[in-house]
Amino acid sequence: MNKTININLGGFFFHIDESAYQILKRYLEAISNSLSDDPQGKDEILADIEARISELLSEKIQDKRQVVNEQDIQSIIKIMGEPEDYADTEDAYTEHNSSYRTKGNPVKKLFRDGEDKFLGGVASGIAHYFNTDPIWIRIALILLLAAGGFGVYTYIILWILLPEAKTTAEKLQMQGEHVNINNIEKKIRTEFENVSNKIKNTDYSGAKIGFQAFLDNVGIILIRLFKICTKIIGVFLIIISSILMVSLVLSAFSFSSLEMLGINHDLRESLPFLYQSSIPSWLLSIAMLISFVIPCLLLFFLGINIVSSKTKPLNKIAFTSLFILWICAILSLVFSGLENYSLNAVEGSKVKTDTIEMLPSDTLYVKTMNNDNFIFKSQLMRNSNQEIISDNNVQKIYSSNIYINIKKSESDEPYLKIRKKSEGNSLTSALENAEKISYGYQFTDNQVMFDSYFLSPMDSKFKDEMVSVDLYLPEGMTLVLNESSKNFIHNYKTTKRLKFWQLINHHFTMTQKGLNCTDCELDQHENI
Amino acid sequence: MKIENTKAQMRKGVLEYCILSILQNGDAYTSEILSTLKSAEMIVVEGTIYPLLTRLKNAGLLSYRWEESTSGPPRKYYVLTENGVLFLKELDTTWSNLINAVNLITSQKN
Repeated sequence: MNKTININLGGFFFHIDESAYQILKRYLEAISNSLSDDPQGKDEILADIEARISELLSEKIQDKRQVVNEQDIQSIIKIMGEPEDYADTEDAYTEHNSSYRTKGNPVKKLFRDGEDKFLGGVASGIAHYFNTDPIWIRIALILLLAAGGFGVYTYIILWILLPEAKTTAEKLQMQGEHVNINNIEKKIRTEFENVSNKIKNTDYSGAKIGFQAFLDNVGIILIRLFKICTKIIGVFLIIISSILMVSLVLSAFSFSSLEMLGINHDLRESLPFLYQSSIPSWLLSIAMLISFVIPCLLLFFLGINIVSSKTKPLNKIAFTSLFILWICAILSLVFSGLENYSLNAVEGSKVKTDTIEMLPSDTLYVKTMNNDNFIFKSQLMRNSNQEIISDNNVQKIYSSNIYINIKKSESDEPYLKIRKKSEGNSLTSALENAEKISYGYQFTDNQVMFDSYFLSPMDSKFKDEMVSVDLYLPEGMTLVLNESSKNFIHNYKTTKRLKFWQLINHHFTMTQKGLNCTDCELDQHENI
Repeated sequence: MKIENTKAQMRKGVLEYCILSILQNGDAYTSEILSTLKSAEMIVVEGTIYPLLTRLKNAGLLSYRWEESTSGPPRKYYVLTENGVLFLKELDTTWSNLINAVNLITSQKN
């Protein structure tokens, strides 16, 4: 009992034995290989040969239900001649007169295989090149996909770069020209004979065939599962990318409407480069939209291609223009980011010294005070968070990044140094920005009242601004720190180790070695 | 050097001339050309003829038309083109010169 196969040979229909089919197929392939010197006429010659074989077969097969068997094929091969005969004819008419032409090493070229493809035929093209089964290349690509999406980029790039093997010559180049057709033909034949002999000589051939059939089925099931999986991935890609695209477009709309309504504080804070760039912010927001939408679009097309292999991949021109657009968008974002970064590249401080009109024998009281008109704070604290407040209808940044340091004056006079620190793209602009920080303090009798905050213009949001107040006291002068300044005191030196809370509301006298507490409980500092 | 190879080479050299001559007598389809050549023992196997026909056609010496057949697939009927006719005429003279030359040489030997 033999399986039969239906074939279309030269436009005619034949039932053919499986084994006969294999012989015929190899015969035609061998002819095709031996004709490889003349790719232009090759298809036509093959078509003629097929037509002739078909004619010869239909002479033999009178009854349409009759099956073509091995003997029929063998007798036809006898009539038609061995594959070598075809090649010899060619040799006689080519420039090379010696019948034993030396062929160099086969030159393989990388193409995409349009006949065996999942997406673009990249994997099978590579497989031809390395002489392996495309499934391994596909698995490798999928593994690369898992490793951070590298596979997708590789695939897409190869898809663009590699031409598809369209002509017969290209297909041959893709598969690599056989070094010696006759040798290979013989090798295949002997191998086939070995295998068929083995099968014939064993009694348990039925079992073997059964097992092979089982393996074949498993293979088919695996391939189906694999295909289903990729389809599912494709569907996911389509869904996810379309959701992303819709939401991106919606957010772009809502962003621009926020812009028009002027309620974009949050955006100003989170995306500073949109506002401080020399590129207008609307253009940058479009660039941002593009830079996200284009990859989504590509994923979308990828998904469509996976789901339906019939749809054509994105054409080259469209792809290139999308790519260029994307690069432009990314470049403009990078540009404004760098520009924004350069705005804050240099740090500069403006220092102002002010004398304190007091005698070294006096006691200085230090307080800090908030302005409740701007922000109400129950507790005065240094805080790196910034707030936006309105000062006489001008929006300003309110910051409490204030450091109070207590140092020993080298002269006999008490004085203080106010240091305002900001950033800019040059020292001059950094100093200009520092100048724009408004910070105040007041003297009343023997008390100095520092503001617990400073105000700066809106652009200074990301300039990492701070104000430090250095209070220089001469030796012998007494200092009392009020509770309100507790959280702003940063740097000081005491003669004895104290707990932080002991700094507050105690009398300290400046000595050579630092601040000496005159009314702290002795046992308290010894118990530390 | 095998005698078979030399024989084959000799035959192949004049195969083109034979094909063109067959078509001179009227259009013919592949099987007809084949049977003529086979009966004259110009060829042993059919395979040799197909690349040659295509080559002649590509060279513009032959053209063909399709004709339906009652018994099998449509048949390719080959026709000599004008170029083909001129080509054949030249081959005719070359062939007769060659025969003379060969006869002359071989008869001298004897």
